[in-house]
Amino acid sequence: MQTQSSRWLGHGLYLVIMAVLISGVYFAGQKIDYTWHWERLWPYVINTESQDIVAVTDGTAVVDKSGRLSIQPDYGDDPQIIDVYDTLVSRDGDLIFQGDTIARIDGWRFGPIAEGLWVTIKISFISLIFAVLLGVMFGLMRVAHGQVWRNLAMTYVEVIRGTPLLVQIFIVYFFIGTVFDLDRFTAGVAALSIFTGAYVAEIVRAGIQSVPVGQMEAARSLGMNYVQAMAYVIMPQAIKRTLPPLAGQFINLIKDSSLVSVISITDLTKAGREVVSGSFAPFEVWFTVAILYLVVTGGLSLLIQRLEKRLSASD
Amino acid sequence: MIEQAKVPPSLQPLIHASKVNKVFPNGCHALKDVSLEVLRGQVVVIIGPSGSGKSTFLRTLNQLEPITSGQIVLDQVDLTDKHTDINIVRKEVGMVFQSFNLFPHKTALGNVMLAPMKVLKQSKAEAQKTAESLLQRVGLADRMDNYPSRLSGGQQQRVAIARSLAMKPKALLFDEPTSALDPEMVGEVLDVMKGLAHGGMTMVVVTHEMGFAREVADRVVFMEDGELVLEETPERFFHSDHPRLQRFLGQVL
Repeated sequence: MQTQSSRWLGHGLYLVIMAVLISGVYFAGQKIDYTWHWERLWPYVINTESQDIVAVTDGTAVVDKSGRLSIQPDYGDDPQIIDVYDTLVSRDGDLIFQGDTIARIDGWRFGPIAEGLWVTIKISFISLIFAVLLGVMFGLMRVAHGQVWRNLAMTYVEVIRGTPLLVQIFIVYFFIGTVFDLDRFTAGVAALSIFTGAYVAEIVRAGIQSVPVGQMEAARSLGMNYVQAMAYVIMPQAIKRTLPPLAGQFINLIKDSSLVSVISITDLTKAGREVVSGSFAPFEVWFTVAILYLVVTGGLSLLIQRLEKRLSASD
Repeated sequence: MIEQAKVPPSLQPLIHASKVNKVFPNGCHALKDVSLEVLRGQVVVIIGPSGSGKSTFLRTLNQLEPITSGQIVLDQVDLTDKHTDINIVRKEVGMVFQSFNLFPHKTALGNVMLAPMKVLKQSKAEAQKTAESLLQRVGLADRMDNYPSRLSGGQQQRVAIARSLAMKPKALLFDEPTSALDPEMVGEVLDVMKGLAHGGMTMVVVTHEMGFAREVADRVVFMEDGELVLEETPERFFHSDHPRLQRFLGQVL
């Protein structure tokens, strides 16, 4: 048993080691011939510059008493009405040409890095759902009584686990994507879910097989059929046991999603690459991208830990 | 059972096993021509050394163990007929296991309620009412909301019995129900079983509890090497001078 004082000593030592490591990285960063410009990064995450509101047709600007701006077109179309703006650029009665800035709106919008982060979260989340569906289906097939199901599931698992994800993405996008006319996002989701599904299937199979045989016998001797016994007795226990390895697989999925940038999906990694060429701040960008990935995976990991805690009520 | 067609159903054996053979895929001949009749309300105790096939035989009675040849008829339903829906038969025969096999993710109450709700399609309220009264009957009124991991072995086995009873079975099969229990908990489980026997439940019990056999059984069966060696009333059974039984009793008593 650990004593209280040796635990605190351990924590303290850990902090010292981390401080040494981080300052080492910091001084290494100072020593190289590189000027750090963290501030350049901000517009790529959240853009706070005011946005222009542009006229859609030629016409005359009308500002009424309440301050509402509208453009009365020259040729009888419906007027363009701008309700929300912060600064007025045109004045009442101005002649406006299509494409002119007539007003500005303050506030912020997401930059490419934030949008890339959103794409990464979206593609990971959708793939995760399909991966779980595929994984449970093929995991159940792996333990089914029919030999044909077991063979089919085994083929799926072995083929997918035995080929690189990058190659699978290319095949899904260029071959299957062409056959079924898939857009890149769908192709990316398909490749990621099929890939992760194979690993989830193995985890599910292991989880089901870790439930003692007596559980199935007890369920069946109460008159439940195979499906009921699986659904109400075996799977609830199997899922609890598979949560830790599933968490690892989901984290892998989020990281693997960076590979879809090869088929031109602007995820966090591709956004990073684009921002590097625009901002000339590669180190800052890649550190930021890494931290954002860490935040997403850490959040998911935390979520699953809480779920595990809730399910452990019966232990 | 053509020869029994004129006998009213209530007098026919509830369980009728005839010439049951079981050969495992590895070639082990576990049951050799075992025949047994159990009438309604009877308690039959099966004893025998480990590996004698007594548990295997019990498990064939609800087809947890498929048989190689022979016939098992349960309340006039032929289990060995491949047109028989085995799930319907199983909900009419309860089984209590040596290792309890409670569902660890459900509370005691949840364990008892699950099958009535999912198999008999009872409403939650109805299932709960039955479950509560059954748990009360096995002396666990105050432990209903406990998960199995918080219950002692004896309590778990009593929950398991209540779980079987919730399906209102015609017969109960007990597979060494007290063998995994600490000695001080054996009594509480046997008491529940005695209560059931006196209440008229048809029971087939595989056990090493000779006291239970002597006190409760209508008939005692001795099995060895996959054969049914002897079947007698308790008094005659325990005074039998059958050499194989004598040798076994000499080892366990």
